[in-house]
Amino acid sequence: MTALLANPRVQLGLRLLLGAFFVYASLDKIANPLAFAKVVYQWQVVGPVPSNVVAVTLPWIELLAGGLLLAGAWRREAALVIAVLLVVFVVAAGSVMARGIDVLNCGCVSVAQAAVPSAWPPAWMKGVGWFLVTRNLLMLAAAMVLVTVTPLGRGATAVAPVQPAAG
Amino acid sequence: MLLFLDMTVDWKRFILILAAAASLGFAWNAGSGHGITLGRSVLVQAGDELVAAPAGKRLLDQGALFLDARPRDFWRMSRIPGALPLPEDDFDPAFREAEKRLRRASAIVVYCGGYGCEASHLVARKLRERGLAAAILDEGLPAWQDAGLPLDTEPRP
Repeated sequence: MTALLANPRVQLGLRLLLGAFFVYASLDKIANPLAFAKVVYQWQVVGPVPSNVVAVTLPWIELLAGGLLLAGAWRREAALVIAVLLVVFVVAAGSVMARGIDVLNCGCVSVAQAAVPSAWPPAWMKGVGWFLVTRNLLMLAAAMVLVTVTPLGRGATAVAPVQPAAG
Repeated sequence: MLLFLDMTVDWKRFILILAAAASLGFAWNAGSGHGITLGRSVLVQAGDELVAAPAGKRLLDQGALFLDARPRDFWRMSRIPGALPLPEDDFDPAFREAEKRLRRASAIVVYCGGYGCEASHLVARKLRERGLAAAILDEGLPAWQDAGLPLDTEPRP
C-alpha cells in the first residue's frame, strides 16, 4: 500500500487534485471578502472581528499552499498547511452540526449569492453536513499522504532484507 | 522492505507559507479597493443601532414594538412577546400591513435568528429608508434566550 502511495504518478495526481481544488476554492473568496466574512461569521465558531481576520487571510493561505502543490515546490510543507486547514474545517463543521446551526452555504468554494436560486449544487452538498465532513476527511487523507510519503525516486530508501550469514 | 515514510517537515517553510499568505491577505484587503473593515462586524453598517438583549428587554417593558425579521413560519412557531412579523423576504406586504402600528410606536427593535443572521439589519435599514428609526437586537434570538428572557411559544396561524 505504501509503495502504491509512493508511486510518482499517484503522488502527482494527489498533488494536482489538492492544489487545484484549493486554488479554485480561494478565488471567489478573495474576490468577495465581504460575502466570505458573513459566511465565516454564520459558522459562529469565532466572533465577528476574528471572522473578518479569517475571511481576509484564509483564502490566501489556500491560494499559496494550493499553488505550491501545483508547482511541486515545498510539497511536504504546503500539504501540511492544507492538512492543518482541513483538520480545522472538520472540527468547526462538527461544532456547527453539534450546535444545530443551519449554515446553508459553507463558503468552501463559492461565497457569492446567485441572483437566481440554482438547483445545483444541492443543499446537502453546499451546506455544513456529513458530505462536507466526509469530503474534507478524504482530502485530509490525501494531504497526509503527501506529508508523510516520499515519492519513489526522490530519496526513498530501499533497504535490502538482512540475509542470514552463510555457513 | 522499502521505507517511504518520512515525517521531516521544514517548519521554517511551514511558517513562511502562513506568514506570507496572511501578509498578502492583509495587503490585498487594504489596497484592493473592496476590502472589509476588520474591527467591526461586517453585518453592521453606518447608521445601524445595536441593542444588547438586557437593554432590549428594558425597551420591551417600556412598550417598544418588536419586529421579527425571520421568515413568517418561524414567527408562527415562537417570538419575543408582542412581536409582529416583518419578514425580510416578504417585506413590502408585511410593512403595509403593520405600517400604522409602526408609525405609532415609541421605539422599534428588530431581531432575527442570530448566528450571523443579516435579516434584522436589512429590515432596520428598509425602515430607516421609510423614515422609521429601528434598533437591532444584537445577536438576535439566541442572545435573548441565552439571557433567560421570555419567548411566546404559542403557535400562531
